[in-house]
Amino acid sequence: MNKTVLELKNISYKYKNNLILNKVNLKINSGEKIALLGKSGSGKTTLISVLNGTIKPTQGEVKLFNESFEELDRKQKSKITTIWQDLRLIGDLSAEQNVNCGLLAKNNFFFAFKNLLNISSFKKAHKYMELCRLHNSIYDKKIRKLSGGQKQRVAIARSLIQESNILLADEPFNNLDPKLITTIKNLMLESVDKNDTKKSPKTILVALHRLDLLNDFDKVIGIRDGKIFFNIKRNNLKKIHLEKIY
Amino acid sequence: MNKLKLNYTSLSFLPILVCIPLGYQLINNIHFGGFKLFQEFLISAFNPKIDNEIIITVIKRLNETILIGFFSWLVSIIFGAFFGIISSNIFYKIFNIPNFFYRTIRFFLTIIRSIHEVVWGIILMQIYGINFSIGIIAICIPYIAVNSKVFAEQLETIDYKSFESINQINAPKFSSLLTLIWNPIINTFKNFGLYRLECSIRSSVILGLFGIGGIGTSIFLSFQTLNFRELWTYLWSLAILIILSGLLFKKIKFNTKNKILSIFFIAVFFITILFSFSYFLYFIFNINFENFNSVSSLFKSSSDLGLFDFFKLILETIILSLLSTGIAISLPPLVIGIFNSKSSKFFIKIFAFLLRLIPTPVILLTLLTFNNPSLSLAALTLGLHNAGITSKLLFTNLDSQDKRNYIAMKSLGISKKTSWLLGLFSQQAKSYLAYCAYRSDIIIRETAIVGVIGSVGLGWQLQESLSSFAWQEVTIVLIAYSSIAIVGELINGKIKNSLT
Ligand SMILES: Nc1ncnc2c1ncn2[C@@H]1O[C@H](COP(=O)(O)OP(=O)(O)OP(=O)(O)O)[C@@H](O)[C@H]1O
Ligand SMILES: [Mg+2]
Repeated sequence: MNKTVLELKNISYKYKNNLILNKVNLKINSGEKIALLGKSGSGKTTLISVLNGTIKPTQGEVKLFNESFEELDRKQKSKITTIWQDLRLIGDLSAEQNVNCGLLAKNNFFFAFKNLLNISSFKKAHKYMELCRLHNSIYDKKIRKLSGGQKQRVAIARSLIQESNILLADEPFNNLDPKLITTIKNLMLESVDKNDTKKSPKTILVALHRLDLLNDFDKVIGIRDGKIFFNIKRNNLKKIHLEKIY
Repeated sequence: MNKLKLNYTSLSFLPILVCIPLGYQLINNIHFGGFKLFQEFLISAFNPKIDNEIIITVIKRLNETILIGFFSWLVSIIFGAFFGIISSNIFYKIFNIPNFFYRTIRFFLTIIRSIHEVVWGIILMQIYGINFSIGIIAICIPYIAVNSKVFAEQLETIDYKSFESINQINAPKFSSLLTLIWNPIINTFKNFGLYRLECSIRSSVILGLFGIGGIGTSIFLSFQTLNFRELWTYLWSLAILIILSGLLFKKIKFNTKNKILSIFFIAVFFITILFSFSYFLYFIFNINFENFNSVSSLFKSSSDLGLFDFFKLILETIILSLLSTGIAISLPPLVIGIFNSKSSKFFIKIFAFLLRLIPTPVILLTLLTFNNPSLSLAALTLGLHNAGITSKLLFTNLDSQDKRNYIAMKSLGISKKTSWLLGLFSQQAKSYLAYCAYRSDIIIRETAIVGVIGSVGLGWQLQESLSSFAWQEVTIVLIAYSSIAIVGELINGKIKNSLT
């Protein structure tokens, strides 16, 4: 039995009298590769925001490594990394500075300062940007000046550079061409440290709309109107499941 | 007959009605004995005194003015940034501090901001005596608060989403804060920095008129001794300084990509902070306590200021602000509209420049040569000076506006004035009024300056109470001042919101 890394217990989230998440229970075990399906507006982004602690649920409890999320310290919380649907990069900073922001948690204040002054080391940032097939001519370009797909990959690089073993990704393949999708998907699935696979396999949860990409996942969760409709092994996914949520 | 419709255009002209009571009082107060003096003042403008001696004085005095302006700018912009950060939303979100503190700090800064630097200057001079650093401190107090507002407003533009994403990375809080505020802060420095430097220099001129030193003091002294030719030497040299610095500031572009330059800026930043702190400590420990002792012995437990008098002063201050604002709003479009030929435009621009250039106390003093002190005279002064400022904005906007409507209307045979009004100005009216609303915030604060000199309103009372060391009265006057300014700001805020 794999141990549980993330757990939602009876989570409800209300926003201005709209019930956006409705009594969600979910266990995510270490090493699981989960695809989150659901039509637009079903609550995928909200679910991810609850999982990473950005949204405080109106009801219920979020547990990370079996401890209540609120009681964890910063270092513990930083073990989750997120690729946001709306990217959430800092528009006025350069691409490499944005990627370096992923390293802020592991470094001190001085690093942040040097990053903003453009005098920190960008070696690691460049490595991850290269992995994401970002050309070195855009390293020092402001985010505002990048194309949609370039921004998408900067956001992915910022998340990957955190080298966390829990990755939440919200429609990360937006704006990417088919070849890039394969590259990025493999990067996301890959464990952080290849020698260390046994100790801490990578857990990922990806919200997506493309059913043709499901093959690489071993679990599928279907969500509709803020409720989880199914949570099954990918092999067991039938047409009837999809009809329920779409 | 068309009915008078209340739209933005007519609203821009309507306030000129303040001229009726104003003119009435002014005409009643004319004394012809001083006209000769006034004439002399005007003629001297074309015949300023120029010799070696005065040039050396000018350079020395300008130097002082610039130094006071520069240091107060440096300190006030850096501390303004600091207070801007700690009074911004983002700071409270990152550090999870209850909103109560945020409101308290903002309220405190609003109060400080509401009192004009001249008032701070007069008070500090009374306590510490005349001193170079008093000028810097007097400017810094309200300017730190003003700048902090500018910074805080820029920080409000930070996208909440990027805050959430940085927050989710779970970096140390100071790293998150710095990363988020970096660009808004840098941009504020870039966009407002030089403008604020110009403001500081102007303020240091004004404070000079009240004895702090620099060119202002020379201007004041030459006026007092009726040395008009000397006066104009100072005024023109001030004009040259302002024009030159304007040209220079246009050329300056900050390049944040340059690493050495960034490091230099940061060094200046920290040195200023260190220096200010050590100076502050030095200042605190070197207070001339003799003054304070005399203060305490003279401290009146009960004030002579009756409640009725006090309300009268408040009312006077409010009327003064309203009248001046009326002039500042309506005079520019009226004058530009009536005289809109090319050559008259040139003269209006020169006149507006002079109104901006000559500090309000000097305008008031010249008008006082042939008119007895009155509320209307103070209002006229303040109104004219600010009309110089609003007309600059109006000119800039009109010049950059699309003129097709205007040309089309003229070609239809509509008179030039009507085409100007309906084809050009009507499209500007709304934003012009919004700017005037902002300007009237400043006018309210500036009533203190003309009040002190023109013997009206709270400004005058402040001077009286200060010279008799009636600190209780001073406090009451200050509270009244800031209440008027704060209420005015609230009302103007509402007006601005409805206009934008
Ligand atoms: N900030 C917000 N304020 C108000 N309502 C919101 C907010 N964010 C999301 N919602 C609502 O919550 C519901 C779920 O939104 P969510 O973004 O989680 O959907 P989603 O499944 O991610 O959709 P998509 O596939 O389009 O990204 C929607 O009905 C949406 O309108
Ligand atoms: Mg979504």
